[in-house]
Amino acid sequence: MTWQGVALNGLVALPAVFVALTVLASRRRTDRLAVGIGVLGSLLTLAWSGWAVAVASGLDDSPVDHPWVTALDVRWHLALDGISGPLVLMSTLVFVCCLLALVRHAPAGGGRANLAALLLLIEAGVLGSFLAMDMVLFFVFFEVALIPMWFVIQQWGDPGDEVARRRAATRFLLFTVLGSALMLVGFLLVRAEAGTFDIVRLAASYQPSGPVAISAAVLIAVGLAVKTPLWPLHIWLPDAHAKAPTVGSVVLAAVLLKLGTYGFLRFWMPVTDPGWPLLAPLLAGLAVVGIVYAALACLAQTELKRLIAYSSVGHMGFVILAAATFTVGGVQAAVFASVAHGLITGLLFFLAGAIKDRYGTGDLARLRVLYGRVPRIAGIFAFAAMASLGLPGLAGFWGEMLAIRAAVYPAAGLPTATYVVLGVIAAFGVILTSAYFLALLRRMMQGAPDAVQPVNRDIASIELASAEVDPGEPEVGAVRRDVEAMEWVAWSPLLVLTLLFGVAPGLLLGPVAAASQAFFGGL
Amino acid sequence: MPQTIDWLAISPPLILAVAAVVVLLADAFLGGGLDGLDHRRRTAFMPAALTILAVIVASVPALAMWDQRRSTFCVEPPPDRTELFNFPRPGPPPEWCSFAVDDLTLAFWGIVLFGTGVVALLGTVMVRERRTPLGEWHFLMLCSATGALTIAAARDLITLVVALEVVSLPAFAMAGLRRGSRRASEAAVKFFLVSVISTAVMLMGISLIYGASGSIFLNGTTIAGGELRSVIVVGALLTTVGLAFKVAAVPFHMWVPDTYVGAPIAVAAYLSVVSKAAGFAGLLLVLGVGLAPYADVWAPAVAVMAALTMTVGNVLALRQRHAVRLLAWSSVAQAGYILVPFAAGADRPALAATIGYLAIYAFVNLGAFAVAALVGQRHPEQRLSDYRGLVRESPVAGWALAFALLALAGLPPAVVGLMAKVVVFDAAAGPATWLAVVMAVNVVIGLVYYALWLRELFLPARATDAPPHDVPAGVGLAIGLTFAAGVVFSVLPGWLLDPVLASLG
Repeated sequence: MTWQGVALNGLVALPAVFVALTVLASRRRTDRLAVGIGVLGSLLTLAWSGWAVAVASGLDDSPVDHPWVTALDVRWHLALDGISGPLVLMSTLVFVCCLLALVRHAPAGGGRANLAALLLLIEAGVLGSFLAMDMVLFFVFFEVALIPMWFVIQQWGDPGDEVARRRAATRFLLFTVLGSALMLVGFLLVRAEAGTFDIVRLAASYQPSGPVAISAAVLIAVGLAVKTPLWPLHIWLPDAHAKAPTVGSVVLAAVLLKLGTYGFLRFWMPVTDPGWPLLAPLLAGLAVVGIVYAALACLAQTELKRLIAYSSVGHMGFVILAAATFTVGGVQAAVFASVAHGLITGLLFFLAGAIKDRYGTGDLARLRVLYGRVPRIAGIFAFAAMASLGLPGLAGFWGEMLAIRAAVYPAAGLPTATYVVLGVIAAFGVILTSAYFLALLRRMMQGAPDAVQPVNRDIASIELASAEVDPGEPEVGAVRRDVEAMEWVAWSPLLVLTLLFGVAPGLLLGPVAAASQAFFGGL
Repeated sequence: MPQTIDWLAISPPLILAVAAVVVLLADAFLGGGLDGLDHRRRTAFMPAALTILAVIVASVPALAMWDQRRSTFCVEPPPDRTELFNFPRPGPPPEWCSFAVDDLTLAFWGIVLFGTGVVALLGTVMVRERRTPLGEWHFLMLCSATGALTIAAARDLITLVVALEVVSLPAFAMAGLRRGSRRASEAAVKFFLVSVISTAVMLMGISLIYGASGSIFLNGTTIAGGELRSVIVVGALLTTVGLAFKVAAVPFHMWVPDTYVGAPIAVAAYLSVVSKAAGFAGLLLVLGVGLAPYADVWAPAVAVMAALTMTVGNVLALRQRHAVRLLAWSSVAQAGYILVPFAAGADRPALAATIGYLAIYAFVNLGAFAVAALVGQRHPEQRLSDYRGLVRESPVAGWALAFALLALAGLPPAVVGLMAKVVVFDAAAGPATWLAVVMAVNVVIGLVYYALWLRELFLPARATDAPPHDVPAGVGLAIGLTFAAGVVFSVLPGWLLDPVLASLG
């Protein structure tokens, strides 16, 4: 096997091996050692992914292409190109941050080592999905992350409300499985039409036409739309993201949603003909509805994590809008927005978790004056919020700007006038996004110091201390104050990259453009 | 006309039949009967050991016949019929044969032999109960398994019906053999009545087919046309109804939950795997081979039945809190999935999906029943909450059950279950896409109750002073076997699916 083959197979195998090591360590030794092994595993995977991206030579002639189930014509076909590369690197980085976050801070629910092992298992599934070039193999890896995530939400989720977190976990599982099962039916229909599950060959030669091809494209779109999520199939998302533990929310938002958007780019665009009268414009329309709807929903939220969760629906709307334009610019925008959303929303969920840990609540009516109390956390939150609303100079800007630009210049065959209108409405959505983030910052960060005091997390009740209590020093050791060393370590890569991609978007856009031209050929 | 008999071809069912008699005699002379049953005595396990030995011996000639096409008990077709032959396979066989061994037969034999062996292992939990005469029980099971082997090789309708009855009749007795158990007797009677009715209906259908086509051979029934077509169509539908009882398809499923719960768990496992496989073998042969030209009639009927079966099974399973009853309803739902490929008509690669799913379902479901048998020793009530904390308490059984449930639900890391679903979806996508979508929704409904059970396994155990699970060697081996098969075939699903899916080729 060549080095490239080792790099690709190893990228899937490495986290899986560390799952086993972490579990073994937790049986034999302490929790602490097991988490340490988990962190080591995630760091090695990050380094390995960097190596794999460096040696990967695109989609053609991948050395990892063997028959897996001959009777079904399913192949073990892995490859890495400029579309999946950025997402792989972003995912491995986010997993490192999540595992580092576990080092100092154990979420309620116990068994930190098990949580670390589940996160690594999710990582293996996610990386496999990004590398798989066979539709059934993609589906298999796509499903790997589900059961572990279900456990993460229901075991370590919101400690205050067991019923709600179980409901959220189950809803997440059922929606995603329904989506992926429909997607599988779509894949099988494509195979019936084109004779292969191999997406590289499909992208090169498949000319979708006829009712079967249309129903296949619709089924795949519906399946991926549940995962992404696309309005109105997003209803599982706010609960799941809000009830999950911090690291779970981060992984859900930063990584798992990207499986949906990546699926649209890699597995939906090649099997869809932009010339079909309704499908692509309808998808773009739903995406724009999602952008506006999410912004309005955010304005009405009263809970911090739910608000960030709804903001994800809007951001994913931009990604789908970009993908539905069927242009190289659209693919660039979609990948860039996906990566930027992973970094920024990951950071936002970390911060929301940190605030909830310190104040025992995410209720926006009770959180006040964070600039005064935890200035560093508040400052980073403001930074991330600015990045998320698309401030030029930060990563969030380029994805949305390019998505709107792609909507104004869609591919030939698409109704340009419709897309221009959709682009304008999406731009209006950007304004609404700014509105709710600025309102959030004003309500949560500023004001007079009277409402909320830090409370001791160890007290079972989350009742907040009343205003009469002297706001002076907290009990020694009871409450963690501002950003801790380990939190700096976990958050700073996200901070730095948000800034870096803001000022140098070409780092990402160049390889994506080259890869999308190679993959789609005729775009 | 002198008959030459291919002894190799008929040796596996013959070996089981001989073994059945040997078990009965050995138990009568060497065993102590029910009162002498004592788990410390080696003879208590003798019937199970002999059964497993017979299964292993029978599988040797079966393996030797792989990729050969053997047939025996043949007659020359009447000369006036040969020119009417329109058998769909290229190169029609020159003779009408009653017994044929091809890869399809062998795939079913593999399922039946594996299932029988594992059920014999599960039967060892009954030793300690001291309520079931084990010699007779194993004798009955071997008889039934003989029928199950024969049905997969049957190529005429009479052999098929007789073999099907050989599968069923001992099964009633197995269900009711437990001494002093009213529920077991009730289960046996219910099962018996339903089965007899189904046989009667099926015989009616077969007589119509014979009357219209003039042949009882599967490759001879295809010739009738013209005004007799409607007679064959009615016969086909009646035969389908009869077989639907055997595979417990809705609306002919009513006997399943009560029978599974009333009978000993080993019997439930036998009914859900071996007996069901026999039913599907019959369905595949009658519809897919014998009545292939009438696929336009039976395919939509079976498709509707499949949709109903999986939906009713899954929806009713949602409400169950009794582990075995849940498995019973889940096996109804799974029968619905197995029926799905028939909706594609007589397309051979599509029908192979039935065997593919059945092969995977066999060891996965047996794994679930094996753990249920283990837990049932301590908690005969079989509440789902009795499984709480099983993963901590006895990790191998806990993980094996978790794996089996995930495989039944069709989710990774139990890739093998996922592949089973892929195979069936693949058969339906295209010819019956609507059914594939119905199945997708059903997979989600099924997930609800599998996940519910799965969650119990991982919850912290309630503090009890119950003794730790005592794992009899037989059950431990059964759990290990099914679990190992699941893990191996999850990594390399091709090892199982490639030969099985090619067996109808």
